[in-house]
Amino acid sequence: MDISPVFFYVFAALAIGFSLSVILKKNPVGNAFSLVMVFFAFAGIYAILGAHLIAALQVLVYAGAIMVLFIFVIMLLNADEPSFDMGRSHIGIKIGAGTLCAILFCTFVWAIKESPINIPAGRFTPEAIQASGGNTQVVSELMFSEYILPFELTSVLLLAAIVGAVAIAKRKLGKN
Amino acid sequence: MEALTIIRPESLSLSSEQVRALMPYFLVFGGIMLATLLAVVKGIKPKWPVFLLAVATAVVGVVASANLIPDATIGMFNGMMVSDSYSHFFNVIFMASAGITILASLRYLDREQLQHPEYYVLVLLSALGMMLMTSALDLIVIFIALEIMSLAVYVLVGFRRTDKKSNEAAMKYFILGSAASAILLYGAALLYGATQSTNIHEILKFTQAQPAGMTPLFTLGVWLVMIGFLFKVASVPFHMWMPDVYEGAPAPVTGFMTTGLKAAAFASFMRFFISMGYGTTLSATLQAHIHDILWVSAVLTMIVGNVIALTQTNLKRMLAYSSIAHSGYLLVGLLAGSGTPGGYSAVVFYLVAYAIMNLGAFIILTVISNREDTGLNLHDVSGLASRSPWLSFAMAVFLFSMAGIPPTAGFAAKYMLFYSAIQAHETPLVIISVLCSSISVYYYLRVLVYMYMREPVGSAPASRVSMWSALAVALMVAMTLQFGVVPARLVEVTKRAVASL
Repeated sequence: MDISPVFFYVFAALAIGFSLSVILKKNPVGNAFSLVMVFFAFAGIYAILGAHLIAALQVLVYAGAIMVLFIFVIMLLNADEPSFDMGRSHIGIKIGAGTLCAILFCTFVWAIKESPINIPAGRFTPEAIQASGGNTQVVSELMFSEYILPFELTSVLLLAAIVGAVAIAKRKLGKN
Repeated sequence: MEALTIIRPESLSLSSEQVRALMPYFLVFGGIMLATLLAVVKGIKPKWPVFLLAVATAVVGVVASANLIPDATIGMFNGMMVSDSYSHFFNVIFMASAGITILASLRYLDREQLQHPEYYVLVLLSALGMMLMTSALDLIVIFIALEIMSLAVYVLVGFRRTDKKSNEAAMKYFILGSAASAILLYGAALLYGATQSTNIHEILKFTQAQPAGMTPLFTLGVWLVMIGFLFKVASVPFHMWMPDVYEGAPAPVTGFMTTGLKAAAFASFMRFFISMGYGTTLSATLQAHIHDILWVSAVLTMIVGNVIALTQTNLKRMLAYSSIAHSGYLLVGLLAGSGTPGGYSAVVFYLVAYAIMNLGAFIILTVISNREDTGLNLHDVSGLASRSPWLSFAMAVFLFSMAGIPPTAGFAAKYMLFYSAIQAHETPLVIISVLCSSISVYYYLRVLVYMYMREPVGSAPASRVSMWSALAVALMVAMTLQFGVVPARLVEVTKRAVASL
């Protein structure tokens, strides 16, 4: 099944546009909603790549669960627009950063254009995945066999994050 | 179309040798879990049980890893992780620096009213991340281990939550560190696109098999991963975060960062550096590029670190800039590594020596600082020798070692590093390094002048040193002098460690 590359460019443009709006907008709720759109655009790109499971999880977990938490935090913090106003940075810094970004962008474009794109297909072609039971089965089998170490380490990472969050949040100010 | 065979039986079980090789990781993780549980048990005060358990875990980790250094190399988890002399040698450094940091923190946390058991758990978790990072052979695992290590340290940096500087440091470190991690991850993705593997041994095989495969995409991937590492070791121009973070973090945490974090980043960097074929299979043009850019970065790192350190009056900030300068020397060793018989062992030796002297210096800063880490300016230590002669003596040993004056470990380390660079025909680099190193003598010895030759300002009482801190400092002094006078045994071990790469 071939999907027109136009879809890729549409989703990529959406992702980049809304990413910019995440960092440029000053209204926190607006930022959060731009982020939702970025997540949706990513889900679209995953779907084009044939990774339907990842696309579904992206929508459920990121655009769903994590965004709800974001909105809660924004609501509880009651952050207003002025606290996002960091003042204007120096014009020289802006020009310098812009130039560097442009150079970096050109390098990336050049590198990708110069590299041969006839990279041979790997093991996980859409047909092979179909034959061995579909995306969900292949991903879960991979996760619990070949990628068991990163998978288990992710839980250690989460433990570190939980302990860290407790350490930051639980202490009462000025109390031992 | 036949079905993929994904589940291979050999990847689902661990042989007894593999379990043996994983013992240090299991033991440390067990200690972490137990400490976490002890911290929340009702009815007991968590301070002492968690502290003692954390120290015990560190000691057990050191012993278990040290036992495994002579063992043969064993690959695990489809080659994603390896147990070799190199990784276990570094595991000893990480667990030792975690243990010593914990010893030095007990009284500090009491004084700052921060005595929370999470502190010890986070130090151990970060050390576990370092251990995993050094033994990881897969860019995915390296990334996750890097995140385990960094996340714990981000929290430790901001542990003085009521302090504005500590908060600022944690926030800066968190944002910049996340950006660097993202760059590393992007590089890993590009490398996967160019070589079809995230395993660094597979990537090496790829460069050996087809030199034509080193497309610009490959180069870009290599560079982005390297930038991620260069950020973690704070080489110029990725050093801006370091002084603020070092100054804002609680003093024992800063000591832990300069030793553990830097050693872990360099250990993993070295693995990646060798595995992308530098000095062996990499194409000549790409090698020349990497060499030249790292050369410039090393020189800038040494000059910026040393020159800015000259102007600092806050001791923590001064040591932060000196830490940047030491990253520069280590980069010199890295560049020279492929061209010398001793290989990268000089870098490993330097990391050990640096870890010992820096940990010692930061324990002393922890002891002499006032509440909220104030009182660490140059004039605060004037006349310290008359108040606390033993502390001043220990500090003098560490400062001599950092400046590279015999008979200390720092001298032996610098000697070996520069010697290896000369063997690799990097003479201009060595000349610059030695000149920078002589600049550094000025700001290290200035602290000595203040401690020994100035009258004390005001009447500060002698700092009370806890038994644990005294033990840790004495250990560091002994090791600094021992490795300075008879470095041969350590050199042997570092050579064996590097040979297993």
